[in-house]
Amino acid sequence: MRGMLAISGVLFALALAYWLGADAIPKSRLGGMVGADGLPKLLAVSLGLLSAGLALQTLLEARKRRRPGAAPLPASETADTDWSGHAKAMGVIGIGAGFVLLLPVLGYVVSVMLLLIAVTAYSGRRPSVQTGLFAVGGGIFFYVLFVHLLKVPLPAGVFATLFSGAA
Amino acid sequence: MDGFIHALSAVTSWQILLAAGGGVLWGILGGALPGISPSIAMALLLPFTYDMSPLMALVMLGSVYIGAEYGGSIPAILIRTPGTNAAAATVIDGYVMHQQGRGGEALGLSLTGGTIGGLFGLILLATLTKPLSDLALMFTPPAYFALGLLGLSIIASVSEGSMVKGLIAGVLGLMLATVGTDPLSGVTRFTFGEPELLEGVHFILVMLGVFAVAELMSKLADNEPDDLVKPDTVSKLVLPSLSKLWSLRRAQAIGCAVGALEGPVPGAGGTVASFLSYNEARRWSKTPEQFGKGSEEGVIAPETANNVVTATALVPTLSFGIPGSNSTAILLGGFLIHGLQPGPLLFSTNPDILYGLFGGLFVANIMMFLIGIVILGPAIWLVNRPRPYLNASILALVFSGIYSINNSIFDLWVVLAAGAIGYVLRVLKFPALPLILGLVLGYMIESNYRRSLLLTQGDHAVFFQNGVSAFLMGCAIVVLVLGAYTEFRRFRREATA
Repeated sequence: MRGMLAISGVLFALALAYWLGADAIPKSRLGGMVGADGLPKLLAVSLGLLSAGLALQTLLEARKRRRPGAAPLPASETADTDWSGHAKAMGVIGIGAGFVLLLPVLGYVVSVMLLLIAVTAYSGRRPSVQTGLFAVGGGIFFYVLFVHLLKVPLPAGVFATLFSGAA
Repeated sequence: MDGFIHALSAVTSWQILLAAGGGVLWGILGGALPGISPSIAMALLLPFTYDMSPLMALVMLGSVYIGAEYGGSIPAILIRTPGTNAAAATVIDGYVMHQQGRGGEALGLSLTGGTIGGLFGLILLATLTKPLSDLALMFTPPAYFALGLLGLSIIASVSEGSMVKGLIAGVLGLMLATVGTDPLSGVTRFTFGEPELLEGVHFILVMLGVFAVAELMSKLADNEPDDLVKPDTVSKLVLPSLSKLWSLRRAQAIGCAVGALEGPVPGAGGTVASFLSYNEARRWSKTPEQFGKGSEEGVIAPETANNVVTATALVPTLSFGIPGSNSTAILLGGFLIHGLQPGPLLFSTNPDILYGLFGGLFVANIMMFLIGIVILGPAIWLVNRPRPYLNASILALVFSGIYSINNSIFDLWVVLAAGAIGYVLRVLKFPALPLILGLVLGYMIESNYRRSLLLTQGDHAVFFQNGVSAFLMGCAIVVLVLGAYTEFRRFRREATA
């Protein structure tokens, strides 16, 4: 319950911040009767009201559960929050962020190979010759597909500079 | 007649045949992989369709949708794990048939029923879309605004979980749609000085983040074990004979009828249709006691229904530009990235695209049948690959595909942010579809809202003065009130229980 109340609070704060952002939108004569801030302000009010509604709904649900003889909450609602699971899920974002940071530096082929090996290992596959071959093969496959077949100018990274310098 | 010629020229074009075949193949393989829904399979392909001709891109996306619905039945029958939500009803009898050594027969029934359903749905799509589009020609800006609100209200109120959460997700989607340069005045909104946001947040980035990346995160968080198919347990697919199909005509007719009624209803989709048709097939069966024990009717009815839905779900999308499911929202995205706005004008401005799409989807259904016969072996091989390889390949495909759209690193950050938001929404049980729909419909809703008020000097009564708009606004209000009332009744019932 507390978690959902906190979410309501966050949403209310977002509505407030969004209103302030909408209020700061420069006025223009071309904006028509409503202006560029018209709908955003309407949405901010809607979100504020809905977040209050969510809080009210949560409180009413909690009151209902406290009554004697009330039906128990489903197991999924009472189970402890699986923080380790959420942390593991967020690890995917971490790996993705690493890929995005490395992409301009190492170039596409190397970055995608590292991405493949990182996600495979993170998904529970022990690093082995097989996973290494998968990463190398996958990297080459994606390189051929995107750079040669689809003609996408993916970043070449420092290696390209080194090789061109050597040449 | 012109429409028929457009459709015919599409089915005789090798590019369209290639797009349909490739889309169906990708769809079957994607649908066969538990965790890759039809919408994810379509979203993964979306970036690749940028450089294609509009018709080729749309046929390919539509074909993925068709193929994925059949593909979902493969693991449902072989490993009791539905590849798609709509295939969940197929598990009940399909898996029992497999245990009885009739897995090949079950797959044959699924494929044949799916093809018949798909073709039947296509006939409905081709006959219903034009009259409904003509109706939409009466729409003025206030009516379009009201239509957008109605679409969003329906999706928000029928979404899983509470209606309030559905509405909040819809509002968040509309908020995202306001980022960027205001199309009327040219002033920038919520860009935080970031030039990459001047054109707004592209819905493809959000779709891939919310569907594909968030799905991957959920799978890792849940630590799902790999379910494997023993390759020697299914030797080949067994197609039903004509006499067998005739004996199952009642179940197929039920599947067709349910799919026809459910498909155009926003939010209903193939899952509801397949379970409903399973129930109705059992109710009307001469051997209802066989259901749950390997009934052939129990396989063909839901499979027919969910493939009818792949076509009939397109009716509101093509007629009004309002998608009713994740998959049709992505197809709408396919239209938008090629500068096409589905709706009544599309019939007069781009009839070749619409009728060509019908022709392409016809080819896709035939292709599904042909490819379905030979794809079983590769599909089983793919389902048996260790999940970590699949996870890694999906993420690499998402990033590569997204980068290829604008050659932008910034877009990759947006996808990651959308993935994180999508995961948080899942954990908190907020539905994702209203968010996507809000983002996709945001421009239509805002531009028509402001245009309406411009015409009436700011008088909001305009939305209730125009007949069509008043009707649609009334419907939106009824939908919201009914949704709130249903929740209130559920609350009271639980409180007094």
